[in-house]
Amino acid sequence: MFNRFTQDARWVAHDGPRIARELGDSSVEAEHLLLAIARRDDAAARVLHAAGLDEDAIAAALVAETERSLAAVGVSADSLTFSPFVETPRFGRSAKWALELALRIALERGDKRIGTGHVALAILDAKRGTVSRALAIAGVDRETLATEIRSSVVGRP
Amino acid sequence: MMIDLSSPEDPADGLAAVVALRRLAEQLEAAEVERAMRAGWSWPEVAEALGVTRQAVHKKHAKRLIAAGVELRRR
Repeated sequence: MFNRFTQDARWVAHDGPRIARELGDSSVEAEHLLLAIARRDDAAARVLHAAGLDEDAIAAALVAETERSLAAVGVSADSLTFSPFVETPRFGRSAKWALELALRIALERGDKRIGTGHVALAILDAKRGTVSRALAIAGVDRETLATEIRSSVVGRP
Repeated sequence: MMIDLSSPEDPADGLAAVVALRRLAEQLEAAEVERAMRAGWSWPEVAEALGVTRQAVHKKHAKRLIAAGVELRRR
């Protein structure tokens, strides 16, 4: 699946599962791919950074999203410490969906390679779920960010 | 941890809570299995307490606990 990915996009597919494991998550989700994109220094990553979304800021927004979601049902929890898992977690639904959609976005646009911009657009396409809620908490408009990426990274608007 | 289960008004918040609770349960399991094994519990004891098979809990947690240098009881 990754043979048409650019080098940076391959790093995202490589780092996403490792970030998930470091966070103690049992599956790789869209938010881990977004963190992995923010870790790069390519055009898509720079659009995220310019919007205030470096890796640390995204991580903080994700923590805030979790706290807020738990608080909605009256649960609060201190962060738990445990020895990290050795195995790299598998791709979960939202990450698989994002990678598949990135491929379709590239095909529809006639782009030969799939870059981090396509992956970012695919992640930002989800109206619901953890990423969209975390971005709202960070005060970032999902659609504005997607428009930025479309115009400055992927090429044609 | 404080728990007072109540239904949020917006289903989006309720569904997001489900996602967050699943993650929390996974992380709590990782922390508590480790605590039990460090305290000298056996795999069958931990499995029984969790209501899962010994094989399941071992497959999920043994490697990381061995890597962390936790002394594990065989039985």
